[in-house]
Amino acid sequence: MAIIRRNPDDKFCLPGDAKKEVLIHVDCASHSYPDGSVGIHNMCFSVMKNEVVTLCGPNGSGKSTLIEHLNGLLVPSVGEITVKGKSLLTTKKAELWKEVGVVFQRSDDQLFAPTVIDDVMFGPLNLGMPQEEARSAALEALEAVGAQGLIQKLPNHLSGGQKRLVSIAGILAMRPGVIALDEPTSDLDPVHAEMIEHLIVGLKQRYGISIVIATHDMDFAARISDRICLVRNGMVFAEGSPSEVFYDPPLIAEAGLKLPHIARFYLEWCTANGVRPSGAPLTITDLFTLLKQDAHRMQG
Amino acid sequence: MSSTMLSQHIPDPDLITMYAENQATVFSRISPWTKLAALILVILVLTLTRNLVVCLLLYSVVLALYTAARLPFQKLVAWYALPVIFVISLVGLLIWTEPGTPLLTVTVSGLTLSLTDNGVVLALTLILKALISITISLFLLMTTRYHHLSAMAGRLFPSPLDQIFLMAYRFLFLTLAMTGSMLKAVRSRGGGLVHSIRVQSKLFAEVFALVFIRSFERAERVQKAMVSRGYSGTITAGTEVPNPRAGEIGVLVVFAAAIGVMVLFVPVPGGI
Repeated sequence: MAIIRRNPDDKFCLPGDAKKEVLIHVDCASHSYPDGSVGIHNMCFSVMKNEVVTLCGPNGSGKSTLIEHLNGLLVPSVGEITVKGKSLLTTKKAELWKEVGVVFQRSDDQLFAPTVIDDVMFGPLNLGMPQEEARSAALEALEAVGAQGLIQKLPNHLSGGQKRLVSIAGILAMRPGVIALDEPTSDLDPVHAEMIEHLIVGLKQRYGISIVIATHDMDFAARISDRICLVRNGMVFAEGSPSEVFYDPPLIAEAGLKLPHIARFYLEWCTANGVRPSGAPLTITDLFTLLKQDAHRMQG
Repeated sequence: MSSTMLSQHIPDPDLITMYAENQATVFSRISPWTKLAALILVILVLTLTRNLVVCLLLYSVVLALYTAARLPFQKLVAWYALPVIFVISLVGLLIWTEPGTPLLTVTVSGLTLSLTDNGVVLALTLILKALISITISLFLLMTTRYHHLSAMAGRLFPSPLDQIFLMAYRFLFLTLAMTGSMLKAVRSRGGGLVHSIRVQSKLFAEVFALVFIRSFERAERVQKAMVSRGYSGTITAGTEVPNPRAGEIGVLVVFAAAIGVMVLFVPVPGGI
């Protein structure tokens, strides 16, 4: 998968992973807020089945606005969004919520019910599930995120990490095909951030759920993503695999971002030692392996 | 947020909820409906009676319940300060106009005022009524889990009042936390609750205005998060509130009968 670039005037859409089934397709959508500011502009973007696609961009680049378009919370002023081939404008909201769930950046905004179980049942009940079915869906979701011990807790008695897990469970209980997470690791300590990371991988692997993530945490994005979409000024202007995108320093600089630490370390190490990069490590394990190989090569 | 952030005399919702969620006394296991019925009964009696002795007996019972539930007594005394001041500010003038046997006579600018025995009884009765209401309400709140309270509100109040109750209770904590953070910010830069009001009242008003603005912004975000999970104007309560057991109903009937006897047969001091 090579990096594909798109300029604001280009008519084509970025293809995503052509081998996979398209679940969501945003076709040149634009959205302006009532105050005239542009949220997204000429945005073309797809979410494929069973992939983790990450929208990387600086603050205010339009990531969250795009996320809110994916399940119809916002409707594009221009262009069209399709979910499983059906237009967002003509699809019933309830059908849309079954397909795409959004986990918001601030968990406190999402958790409002008296107890964790009530909050996680909220979505399934709104989808028309009977009480018992909603309860079992909620229990299943809480177990999937490892929060089964929090069932009767009050949301305000939870830690930040627990709130994030319960927020994800609240969406998971609605059994969507796609879950969009806005800054899922923001404000979390490293241990909870890692828990969320493992959870996201588990959701994809165990349940076949496609994940869309909006983040500017490059290290997290590098470890977790199948595909990276770079967002700038309200549009996705480049996409590719993490190893391609994160080993292209000019592209990352153009996006207004910084390289992930591992990529930066490896590139600087190669420069300092006068060797050409022989790979594109994104995890510490890959980095160690490659450094050993490169060191061996240098000695040879 | 700790109650000391605002005042030790204002009940701290966090503390109240902590007791409600973590207490394991017999009162936490009683049906919330039973406790609510007892509260209504007590409020009804307080509305009807002017009998100091009945109020004293009722206060003893309520206080005994509060203590038996292992709720914080010192906090309760601190929380009494505001209602007592409120009642005294109301009856401060009335007690000098009650007919009865004068206990103290004061002459101010040629005007003679007498504090009578009935005036003292009136003041004590009203103070006791306030303390009973507060103690029994706190007893209910601190021995009943929040999801039971919200489920009861869902059954008792018409929509959208039930929804307002549900949301207001949850976000009260967040708003208080936000206010607490702002007060901390004011204090960390040399300000203080009283000091800032006196010296920088405009700035202080702006800080509190900001709390409301942020609350509105948060309300929008909450609404958005709810809509994305299918909210269309109705929240369905998923919690079942346990019904009163036969024994509880029996105790309630005995309690009601005892109160009835007290109201009907205990003589009114001073004959009022």
